[in-house]
Amino acid sequence: MSKTETTRPDELQAGAAGHGAEPRGKRTEDGQATYLVAIAEALWEEMERDERVYMLGEDIGVYGGAFKVTEGFYERFGGDRVMDTPIAEETIVGMAIGSAMEGFRPIAEFQYADFMSSGFDMISTALARVHYRSGVPLPVVLRGPSGGMVRASSFHSINPEPWFSYAGGIKVIAPAFPADAKGLMKSAIRDDNPVMFLEHKWIYRRIREQVPEDPDFLIPISVADVKREGDDVSIVTYGAMVHRALEAAQTLEAEGISAEIVDLRTVYPMDEETVLRSIEKTSRALVLSESYRFVGIAAEVASTIAEKAFEHLDAPVVRLSPPNVPVPFSPTLEDAFLPGVGDIVAEVKKLSAW
Amino acid sequence: MATTKTRQDEQQKTGQRLPGDELKRALYLLKLCRYFDERMEALYRQGRLPGAIYSGRGQEGTHIGVVLPLRPEDSLFPTHRDLSAQIAKGLDLKRIMAQFWGRIDGYTRGRDGNSHIGDWYGNKTWTVMSHLPIAYPVACGAALAYKRRGESNVAMAICGDGSTSNGRWHESLNMSAIAKLPVVWVVNNNLYAYSTPNPLEFPVPTIAERAAAYKMPGVRVDGADVLAVEAAAREAVERARSGGGPTLIESVSLRWKGHAGHDPAKYVPKELLEEYMRDKDPVKNFERYVLSEGVVSEQEVADIQARIEKEFDEGYEFAQASPFPEPEDHAKGLWVEDGYWTSEPGRGGGTEAS
Repeated sequence: MSKTETTRPDELQAGAAGHGAEPRGKRTEDGQATYLVAIAEALWEEMERDERVYMLGEDIGVYGGAFKVTEGFYERFGGDRVMDTPIAEETIVGMAIGSAMEGFRPIAEFQYADFMSSGFDMISTALARVHYRSGVPLPVVLRGPSGGMVRASSFHSINPEPWFSYAGGIKVIAPAFPADAKGLMKSAIRDDNPVMFLEHKWIYRRIREQVPEDPDFLIPISVADVKREGDDVSIVTYGAMVHRALEAAQTLEAEGISAEIVDLRTVYPMDEETVLRSIEKTSRALVLSESYRFVGIAAEVASTIAEKAFEHLDAPVVRLSPPNVPVPFSPTLEDAFLPGVGDIVAEVKKLSAW
Repeated sequence: MATTKTRQDEQQKTGQRLPGDELKRALYLLKLCRYFDERMEALYRQGRLPGAIYSGRGQEGTHIGVVLPLRPEDSLFPTHRDLSAQIAKGLDLKRIMAQFWGRIDGYTRGRDGNSHIGDWYGNKTWTVMSHLPIAYPVACGAALAYKRRGESNVAMAICGDGSTSNGRWHESLNMSAIAKLPVVWVVNNNLYAYSTPNPLEFPVPTIAERAAAYKMPGVRVDGADVLAVEAAAREAVERARSGGGPTLIESVSLRWKGHAGHDPAKYVPKELLEEYMRDKDPVKNFERYVLSEGVVSEQEVADIQARIEKEFDEGYEFAQASPFPEPEDHAKGLWVEDGYWTSEPGRGGGTEAS
């Protein structure tokens, strides 16, 4: 039987010797950052800022993570702070909880947000309930790529935000833009509560923009943002659907319909005020989500609007969300399953006809 | 018959005797926990105690024995069965009883009841959760923190035999062995997982031998012999403290009562129960031992008993006088920033239940 290596080779035990190392992901020459780079920058800066922050997860070290978000981190921060774990999601979450109870600020990576369900009990029963029952803060960030649109099918495309919003006690963030992602990730790491940070994998390398370089650039959690001003219909959404809504808004503009787009950014606890202010202005609401229709995030937003802005509405609140079926693979199926730009345009037109 | 029996020759005999005052303390704790368990059951059956009770009677040898070697700064991750271990770790009887009656002075401020209790900032115990062994992965995290900081603290987790069938039990042992974490795994094998006997829970003769699969020492002790348990725990704690990694301790006893107060435990053969109550009573055995060794006199035993009864009555009175939580506080304490857990709670809830 061959001897089992339990440690990494010396040349990979970089740690303190790794000063000067940097994340692989770079900004473009004009200073723009992709969503992925913006997230990596946030992680890097917070690791530099606070030595209580550390990362754990599967293949995040030498390999740099399944999506390469943490590439270069192992060389800079070493295996203690960029900790590769066995494939044991319950224990990953449990270790994050236990070390947080002892003063650390762990960031646990899931290779896909789908696999958060492998740690479901530790997240929904333990992580979500420790503080309410015992007063022990858990500054834990769980992060991972969520969402579809990339032909990844049933087990690599989930939008788990309704499951974990329901748990109570976990803040759930799902940004759409690089700057928001960076500022929210930094806020999440500095927050004393458990935070789930969902990184939409379609956005990772597709969307880039100017992102502030200030190491204290923070976007507050639970504050929505109006991404496009409009007068006729409000589209309330988050994540990758923000980009589809923006595209739809251009089409609608050409047809004389002015759509306002509210990006929730944080789905729980939700910023009701910004949503309701937009409805007061437009009197029509399309709630768009990539999470399922039944008991999805859109259902919550729609009922909030119906309950609190009834007198401002000129039309029923409409949801546009996928059916509660597994995310299908074949391009024709996935495209039909997800709300498309055409669907958004059609629904907004129906709303404005009221 | 579906049971595993302990044999005298399997007992771990302690090599050295504990100091007299430690033995007296052990006697006090054993008798206190037995008395508490009996009185609380009586109150429950009289309908004077709300909620549930989870008797640990017959298993006090395990509970007290494993905790004796711990220092105040060591952490304990028990289950609802292990209230005696929490008492041994230092929890206050008054506040424990306030917890049972849902009062504001209970350790969870009425947010949980009975032995779903803990005192992280005082006695370093985890606030018990029901989904077992949910605290095992968390103990890995606490132990990881000690190791990272170069501290000599250890984490000890307790679960029952039933928990060893659960995936995260194995995940946690595996993780602790890979990372050589300073943790002591205790399995309180009380022969039944609710109604399911050992042979229907695991195919191997003992739980202790499963340690071999994780390349850690595994030891099986007689839970009726508190000194044997203490010796095994001391060795394990010292191993963990000195960087030797985890140990698995299986301490065997019988759960004399049902899983919870409502369960008459008819699935336990009468002869087996009689045998354990007659020959394997950890409290009586130890009392006989310290009397025969001249560690205590009959009078001292009587004095200890009188002290215990007085403490129980004082605890009961304290609990009845402690107010209920204020109803309007029911949603507070979820988020750190609401300040509920860092301020004094309202005491205007009165002492009459609705």
